[in-house]
Amino acid sequence: MLKLKVIISFLLFAAVSLFIIAAGKKDRDDIYKTTPLEFKIPKGWPKPTVDFFKKNKLTEEGFLLGKKIFYDSRLSKDGEVSCAGCHQPFGAFATFDHDLSHGVSNSFTTRNAPALMNLAWMIDFHWDGGVNHLEIQPLGPLTAPNEMGITLDSALMILKADSAYYRMFNNAFGNPAITSQRMLKALAQFTGSLITSNSKYDRVMNGLDTFSNFEKKGYVHFKNNCASCHKEPLFTDNSFRNNGMLLNRFKDIGRQRITALSSDSLKFKVPSLRNIQLTFPYMHDGSIFSVPQVIDHYIAKTNAPQIGLDSVLRKPIVLNKLQKNELIYFLYTLTDTVFTKNKRFAPDGPVYFKH
Amino acid sequence: MYKDNFLIIWVVVVGLTVVMFEADAQSKAADFTLRFKNTANGNSLVLLDSTYKNTFGESYQVTKLKYYISNIHLTGKQSNYKSKEVFLLNAAGSDSATFQLKPGIYTELRFMLGVDSILNCSGAQDGALDPLNGMFWTWNSGYVYFKMEGYSTSSTADLQRIEHHIGGYRGINKADRQIELTLKEPIVIKDGDTKAIFIQVDLDKYWQGKSDIKIAENALIMFPGELAKKSADNFSGMFSIISIK
Repeated sequence: MLKLKVIISFLLFAAVSLFIIAAGKKDRDDIYKTTPLEFKIPKGWPKPTVDFFKKNKLTEEGFLLGKKIFYDSRLSKDGEVSCAGCHQPFGAFATFDHDLSHGVSNSFTTRNAPALMNLAWMIDFHWDGGVNHLEIQPLGPLTAPNEMGITLDSALMILKADSAYYRMFNNAFGNPAITSQRMLKALAQFTGSLITSNSKYDRVMNGLDTFSNFEKKGYVHFKNNCASCHKEPLFTDNSFRNNGMLLNRFKDIGRQRITALSSDSLKFKVPSLRNIQLTFPYMHDGSIFSVPQVIDHYIAKTNAPQIGLDSVLRKPIVLNKLQKNELIYFLYTLTDTVFTKNKRFAPDGPVYFKH
Repeated sequence: MYKDNFLIIWVVVVGLTVVMFEADAQSKAADFTLRFKNTANGNSLVLLDSTYKNTFGESYQVTKLKYYISNIHLTGKQSNYKSKEVFLLNAAGSDSATFQLKPGIYTELRFMLGVDSILNCSGAQDGALDPLNGMFWTWNSGYVYFKMEGYSTSSTADLQRIEHHIGGYRGINKADRQIELTLKEPIVIKDGDTKAIFIQVDLDKYWQGKSDIKIAENALIMFPGELAKKSADNFSGMFSIISIK
């Protein structure tokens, strides 16, 4: 009889335990459920070299949190500079019409803000490649005194003072803890999702459109003169090169500052040419204002190579006035207004851009 | 009847729990601690208020001293402990690394002063590696492995500062260093022991070891490269065992 009682007790205990476990699980599911997002590689594009979303799973909740942080100007010393202050959606996430970007209290940086696009295909970040991972990139602009000028502690305090953030961190990560790691991972989910792949060039490549005669000729000039560094379909090969820009007034030595190698003097990252129509002025210090002037720069440098100039630029580029225009027409087919006007990447409400 | 059953259930549950805990206690690992004692001129390091002299006669004060200890490795003939855990030691904060060690006899102790290169390029980290700890370079990614700041009348830098931020994980600029400590006798760990190794971290040896680091010449070392590597070469000489308790 006792034996039977024990067995019954065990069964009862097991049943109750299972019920409690099941109920508990259901409760948790109700509170924390993320919506997975698929990272879509555009047709014909290579796989990213680094899988930034392997350990930072893309979710709708993480993306929306990242977007809110990206557009939040409170995360700066004077409360006026957000990430978007220098990375403006209408400028393909570069600073529209500015040579150097502005930081807090009307300060200037010493470089031209790079466009945030197709970052998931990058390996190193910044003009000098000093930053080795998408997630930690924001630490630079956030803390630099001439950019957002805030400490990481203060940034987290600002997030913690806003109940909306508690909700969003909870939605994205399962509990409301607001940590630097989570903030950075959420930002990476947003910035890494900024994919531009809907330009006329892309439509033509996918057989949905055709180049005009002018553009077609320009494409040939591009392939003959530019494509080795500005490699399709991303229009960059992610390398660092000396393209003939001289040491500027800020004594910016580029990649050498990171590697401490004199052979890296004045090397800067090859930027993508996508949305080039919107990302003027050009070069690491924004010192060349227009596309025709950039082309003239390369014609001049390749025809009279100076010491240190990259080896691929030692073959003279020869283009007459008409051919230059053809090349420009082709480059303008890289403009992607589906990207710049994408509501998904736009702020939820009105945002004040200081510049 | 129900009451009876519940009583039995609880007796069984409590009984099982007790048995399980007992079983657990049988193989209970020891709480093992590496406790770091920073010294200068033979005395415990006092931040801010004390002035010390290095072997070149340069006097200095220390305002900040932090360093990473990781990849702790304890081995014996039949025992082996290897951990990837990273600890941040701070003269104004935690002075110890505590972990669980299985019973056994250990004859060798080594660890890394620094952070595994892979962790330097794996994105946003938390815990000891949270950039909030002020040990991550924002403009040239990577961790500062050893950070000493202070002042010296020999410093030619602004405000006579000393800022030695030693790090570097890429290729030739790697600045992490293995520290091997000689154990005079084996460490015997028994069930449920609590043991600590007290380790001296001698700043005198930082200034002069394999390399000479003179404040007058190098008050500021703030990025990976030759200077940082020279400093790092002195790390191994700084550590020695004081006692095991």
